[in-house]
Amino acid sequence: MSDAHSGTLRSATRLLSVAWLAVVWVLLWGSFTLLTIVGGVLVGFVVTALFRAGPVAHRLPFRPVALLALLWHLACDLVVSSFDVSRQTLRYGWRARGAILEVPLLSTSDRVVALIASAYTLSPGTLVLQIDLQRSLWYIYILGPRDSADIEAARTAAMEIQRSVLAAVGAPEEIAQARRMMMGRP
Amino acid sequence: MTFLDVVSAVLLLAGAAQGLLGALGLVVLPSLLSRLQAATKPQTLGLLLILAGAALRVPFESAVTLLLVAVFQLITAPVIAQIVARSVYRSGAVRPEVLVVDELAQRLERSDDER
Repeated sequence: MSDAHSGTLRSATRLLSVAWLAVVWVLLWGSFTLLTIVGGVLVGFVVTALFRAGPVAHRLPFRPVALLALLWHLACDLVVSSFDVSRQTLRYGWRARGAILEVPLLSTSDRVVALIASAYTLSPGTLVLQIDLQRSLWYIYILGPRDSADIEAARTAAMEIQRSVLAAVGAPEEIAQARRMMMGRP
Repeated sequence: MTFLDVVSAVLLLAGAAQGLLGALGLVVLPSLLSRLQAATKPQTLGLLLILAGAALRVPFESAVTLLLVAVFQLITAPVIAQIVARSVYRSGAVRPEVLVVDELAQRLERSDDER
């Protein structure tokens, strides 16, 4: 990657940060006036100048349709599994059980892994305990499995989340590799 | 009472019910990891529902600020849950009898053997 290319990439990333900070600023004020918008952009530039982001190795691919599919998947998941956690509480209470599982990690990019972990932890009844980048494994906690069928279902769900995140922002090679791994699994 | 009032009331009540179920889970679930689920997750949905219900009742400009609350809840909740869970596990506060299977413990045992 040439210096000029990484330079433009960096300024593009910075402009995105400035835009995001400006949006937050305007929302905080709760009024859409010229003053808040210009103020937001100024604040964005000052903040990004004071707190420099680390170097960005490569641009994440942007696929709007897959990203929307991921958001929809997460929203459905949030609702369905909120009720599931409530059901566990009401039905089993003190006798509710959990499991900690080892699942293959399908990406090596820091930012994609962070997104996968956040997406997975956001949905109720599941969270990420440990990520082992060297061995490409992650360890997840799930609330509620009673038998091995439940555990296999949870494993499949964890792979499914990874697949949706990869489809939205993953590198093409990683998507192809994920597909091969999914086929290897029953 | 208008249609909007009804929708808003339903959203607020549904959100409050989720919050209540989360609080109940915090009391009755057996381990810190499962309580963490109850403490962070139904609350997220509950808060989103309450914010949506409140957004229908306030002026548009204040409703937009509520959106910001929702976004930050969605961004921060997973991070906090992860950090707490990790420190809980590392400090050995998870009782093995509440787990059906613990593959992380098996892995840690294996790597102890290797040493």
